[in-house]
Amino acid sequence: MVRRIVRSRVADHPAADDLVQETLLRVLGAMGRVEPGMLEPYAIVTARHVIASMWKDQDRHRRNQHRMADLRLPDAPDADLLLGEDRAAVAQALQHLSDRERDTLLAHELHGQDTRSLADELGSTAGAVAAQLNRTRARLRVEYLLAVERTEPFSDRCRPVLIALSSGDRRRQRDVDAGRHLLECELCARLSQPLLGRGQQHDDEVRIPIRADADVVLARQGVRELAARAGFSPTDLTIIATAVSEISRNIVRFATAGEIVVELLEEPRPGVRIVARDTGPGIPDVEQALTDGFSTYRGLGLGLPGARRLMDEFAVVSEVDRGTTVTMTKWRQEGSP
Amino acid sequence: MTEDHTVTDDESSGFSTLDRQDEHQLLPELVAHLREHRTKLRQEWATRIHDAHLLDAMTPQEMSTETRSVYDNYVEVLETGSVEALQDYARNLSERIIPRGVETHEVVGIVLLLRDVLARSLFEKYQTDFRLLNRVLDAYEPAANRIANTVAVSFVDERERVIRQQQDAIRELSTPVLPVRERLLILPIIGVLDSERARQLTEQLLTGIRTHRAKVVVIDITGAPDVDETVANHLVQTVDASRLMGASVIITGLSPEIAQTLVTIGVDLSKMNTIGDLQGGLEEAERLLGYKVTRQDGPVGE
Amino acid sequence: MNTGPALVSILRQGSYLIASIHTALDDSQLMRLQKDLVDQIGRHRSRGVIIDVAALDVLDSFGSRTLRDIAEMARLRGALTVIVGIQPDVAFAMVSLGMGTGSVHAALDLEEGLEYLDRQVRARQPGSSVVVPR
Repeated sequence: MVRRIVRSRVADHPAADDLVQETLLRVLGAMGRVEPGMLEPYAIVTARHVIASMWKDQDRHRRNQHRMADLRLPDAPDADLLLGEDRAAVAQALQHLSDRERDTLLAHELHGQDTRSLADELGSTAGAVAAQLNRTRARLRVEYLLAVERTEPFSDRCRPVLIALSSGDRRRQRDVDAGRHLLECELCARLSQPLLGRGQQHDDEVRIPIRADADVVLARQGVRELAARAGFSPTDLTIIATAVSEISRNIVRFATAGEIVVELLEEPRPGVRIVARDTGPGIPDVEQALTDGFSTYRGLGLGLPGARRLMDEFAVVSEVDRGTTVTMTKWRQEGSP
Repeated sequence: MTEDHTVTDDESSGFSTLDRQDEHQLLPELVAHLREHRTKLRQEWATRIHDAHLLDAMTPQEMSTETRSVYDNYVEVLETGSVEALQDYARNLSERIIPRGVETHEVVGIVLLLRDVLARSLFEKYQTDFRLLNRVLDAYEPAANRIANTVAVSFVDERERVIRQQQDAIRELSTPVLPVRERLLILPIIGVLDSERARQLTEQLLTGIRTHRAKVVVIDITGAPDVDETVANHLVQTVDASRLMGASVIITGLSPEIAQTLVTIGVDLSKMNTIGDLQGGLEEAERLLGYKVTRQDGPVGE
Repeated sequence: MNTGPALVSILRQGSYLIASIHTALDDSQLMRLQKDLVDQIGRHRSRGVIIDVAALDVLDSFGSRTLRDIAEMARLRGALTVIVGIQPDVAFAMVSLGMGTGSVHAALDLEEGLEYLDRQVRARQPGSSVVVPR
């Protein structure tokens, strides 16, 4: 997109490539600071700014051989520094890609080669190339963030998790158990912020951190709001909110930290799935915890078994000293709109 | 439809452009023609309806009456351009024929047939003058299409209205919460209860308790042949949920089999207010509602 | 997180206390309500307590348990408790969760709750004959 805008305004090619790179740098650099969903508009505006300032420079010094060096927004004195850091970070991130990944990405982004002709060269299909480009971009974002933070991942689980988050691939995120890793790994929790910001553009998922009593109420409200959009009846909304209340309370009582992730489902029919994760001590005997009346705190012993009765599907996975994950689903009634 | 009579038609402008003036000038001529040959054209139309097996559900007399009024209305709309009159008629017609099972394609079919029959007759009349024929058809076709469109839309609207009405009626029938008198609701459960319906009943009853400010609810299950464990559980939940809203529940028509089911799933029947038949249940309900009156007459009198 | 007047208000009306919950409460806020209410029952020697829960979004196991505890403590201090304003969807969710009504009385709304208390408390007045509901 950026390439198209720039190309349509700048005739000679080398300048266009530099401008694209310049724009990408700025966009990437701004990623953490720009509101999710505003990234594209921001990219467009940035491209225009860059072009505008280039034209100004051209007017001033015709045939100036160093115009790229002169490019800057006059009202941003520290832009040079930031730009320099960003540029270095992008360069470093690019080094982490394989040659093939890098070549394909640059051919597409900078030289405007379309996916079909890339596919022909690579002996692949346009769809596969597009998918590969998406993965490469996802990796690039992760490597860029790592480079900006001047850090290396703590464990070999970090990269797969971050890439899965960056690409917005839900299934992959589940496969690598991204949610749990974010609870356990401070670095990834921080780096995931700008990446998840991208994911939030999909408005069929909410994520609520659970640490204190008040978060339980927020979780109830969050799930109610999202499920209402799936067309659940008022009664079902209250039923779902009650179940969420029970399992969020368990997180507050037994674990130091956890989260509730609510996701709307379309297949096989409309519904809502709630995943509650914590890094608590785990439940030694899940069977027992699912029995009515079994309670280790002030309640009626209805926490887990009660939530199970309220929902259509219910599963508990727990590992002692690592934590518990409760996954529960409610399907919308057939008769509902 | 706006009308504009001020501009005169320029004959030499050719036939390729259709304009309103053409329509206004030619349509009266067409209408006169269609009125003049009414009997013959109508007959031809009826024959084609018959051949196409449309409106088979109607008797010949009904056909004759309906085709006559559709024809006259049709020509009238052509003449006046007033779609409202046709809409009214189409709605009226739909109301009458929908209960007889007339389908959308039949209604659209007969109107399109009429359009063709009339177009053919116009063709025959004007075929010697090709330019005039073109202008005639240019004037006729948009008007005819408007009519076909109006009839179809009216019919479908009416049909949907009827279907909605029926659905509402069915829903009400299957889950009736009857306010018998102030503060008293009766919920007769009739037919097979499944989990989903039991749940709907409960929701409806709870909403009804609030709407009618009910203090006593009589649930009569005489008409429910099978109550399995799941439904029995729902029943118990309904009683509990009603209590949470401040209403007492009396269950009537409890068969020995259902009582057995309730006991099997661990329901303490002594905690449920059960009465043999509906009549007894209503008496008990009134006693509960009048409870405060008798009580005040009693001990408060000291 | 404090239980300010915005969340819950406790009003005294004659020998009754009326606690109105104005919004969704979390567990600590519920505990605070329980403490405040039980304190005031003792201070005012209240005979009846009405808890209006119409604004609560859910009554889960903890919320129900708290209401029962309040009723039990109130009983030990000589006051009768009635819960009013449970919404149809909340009632449905409560029983689906597996919570019975317990021994706590529930009434449709404040008006009904007051009427219930009047009836019960008067019946318990010393000197008045005991009413046996048949």
